[in-house]
Amino acid sequence: MKRRYAIGFLTIATLAIFWFLATGPLALISPGRFPSPPDVWASLKQVSTKGYANGLLYQHVLHSLKLVALGFVVAIGTGVPLGLLMGWSRRAEAIINPVFSIIRPIPPLAWIPLAILWLGLGDAAKVMVIWFAAFVPSVINSFTGVRRIEPYVIEAARMLGTPRWRFVREVLIPAAAPLIFTGMRLSLQASWTTLVAAELVGALYGLGRILNVAQQDIYPGMIFVGMACVAILGWATTRLLAEVETRSLPWIQMARA
Amino acid sequence: MAVITFEGVRKSFGHNGGGFLALEKIDLTIADKEFVAIVGPSGCGKTTCMRMVAGFEFPTAGTVNVDGHRVTGPGPNRAVVFQQFALFPWKTVSENIALGLRNKGVEKLEREKRVHQAVELMGLEGYEGAFPHQLSGGMQQRVAIARAYVLEPDVLLMDEPFGALDAQTRTTMQEELVRIARRNPRTVLFITHAVEEAVYLADRVVIMTRRPGRIKEVIDIRSVRTAEKWDKYERIEDVMDLESFVHWRTHIWRSLREEKSGQDR
Repeated sequence: MKRRYAIGFLTIATLAIFWFLATGPLALISPGRFPSPPDVWASLKQVSTKGYANGLLYQHVLHSLKLVALGFVVAIGTGVPLGLLMGWSRRAEAIINPVFSIIRPIPPLAWIPLAILWLGLGDAAKVMVIWFAAFVPSVINSFTGVRRIEPYVIEAARMLGTPRWRFVREVLIPAAAPLIFTGMRLSLQASWTTLVAAELVGALYGLGRILNVAQQDIYPGMIFVGMACVAILGWATTRLLAEVETRSLPWIQMARA
Repeated sequence: MAVITFEGVRKSFGHNGGGFLALEKIDLTIADKEFVAIVGPSGCGKTTCMRMVAGFEFPTAGTVNVDGHRVTGPGPNRAVVFQQFALFPWKTVSENIALGLRNKGVEKLEREKRVHQAVELMGLEGYEGAFPHQLSGGMQQRVAIARAYVLEPDVLLMDEPFGALDAQTRTTMQEELVRIARRNPRTVLFITHAVEEAVYLADRVVIMTRRPGRIKEVIDIRSVRTAEKWDKYERIEDVMDLESFVHWRTHIWRSLREEKSGQDR
């Protein structure tokens, strides 16, 4: 494990040195197209202290983070129960699936114009687009999670006389939990992708807004800062979710060990 | 009291020409606290018989009754031990055993006492907090048996419970089951394809024909066991050496082989 980390670190360090040399001393790449490390540093300083695109960096970050969190929670809060319901009840599946099948192939970003038309450039439109994008993987994976439960586990629960709600809480959900978490992870990624795209199209704050304004200003350093922030936040929130998963499913960790 | 009766039971699966007849003319009465083993060629419907008593399947014609009541669904008075153990991997050993008692509304103190007794009965002391994945197959099946026994069910249904275990573990479990069954007798319906197991464990052995399964022969092992004093031997291999055991084992083997060769033709 340590060896793997060391190799990963070396790869990134090599890339960073190459980046520094290529944009600086060797002048292989024009700074107008690809920013040098000092350019990025200057942009980071500017957006952190003086502000850029209507706000300071932390304001943009918090704003994007807030919308992702909101959209993600709404998406999994609706998607997971819907998927579980469709997995458990053939009737619910028969009713919901046709609608779901029509909506599913629409690329989430295609909802942006409608969302802006309905809800304007504010937060509500973004939450709506994130919701539409992020709830799909949660539905599909929760559904599959239920369908993949071994029939004899369900029979064992019935044989023990497990009442309905206890069955849902103590059998159905834990049995489907590994796939529910897979769905949530994909939902989280979809949340970030969609948010940045939605902010690119029209927003007053946020990381997408930084990217959009930086593009119009032809400001590669700032574009880099925006991208790096999205990458770091995306990574950090995914880690956080993985941590929640590890703690919620102790029996799976035991099985792997 | 728990008497199981099959009356004129027929069972077919599927419909409109795509189906097949699984069981036909099953008439059988299992007395209270009797241990009955059903053996038969694979696909003969022996597991389906058990599943109809459990309430997982229903006869196409005829009735399956427990204590005179038609079986309408699963319930904790008919505990099932599955071949695949069917434990809840996210629950610890004691949580697995306790679930049925919680469902029955047994008070916490009483519950803990009974779970502890079941743990002791099955030799699971020290593993109460373990998850099923941490246990061997034999230990997992002990948990499943404890989970069934703790409910003090009238009927115990076992579907090839030792089929997934290695030969040694299997033997130990068979001996344990005999020990438990003598100490704490229940009405047991035991499905197996292992002839020795059936003869060693059961009071009566039911031999089934190939599909569609019918009852071919019912052998009263209990009278042989009593007459030949099998119970004075503690070890399974000593019982298996007895002439009376060998006789009935061979008899059942022959009977099953007839079914199998008929199937191949």
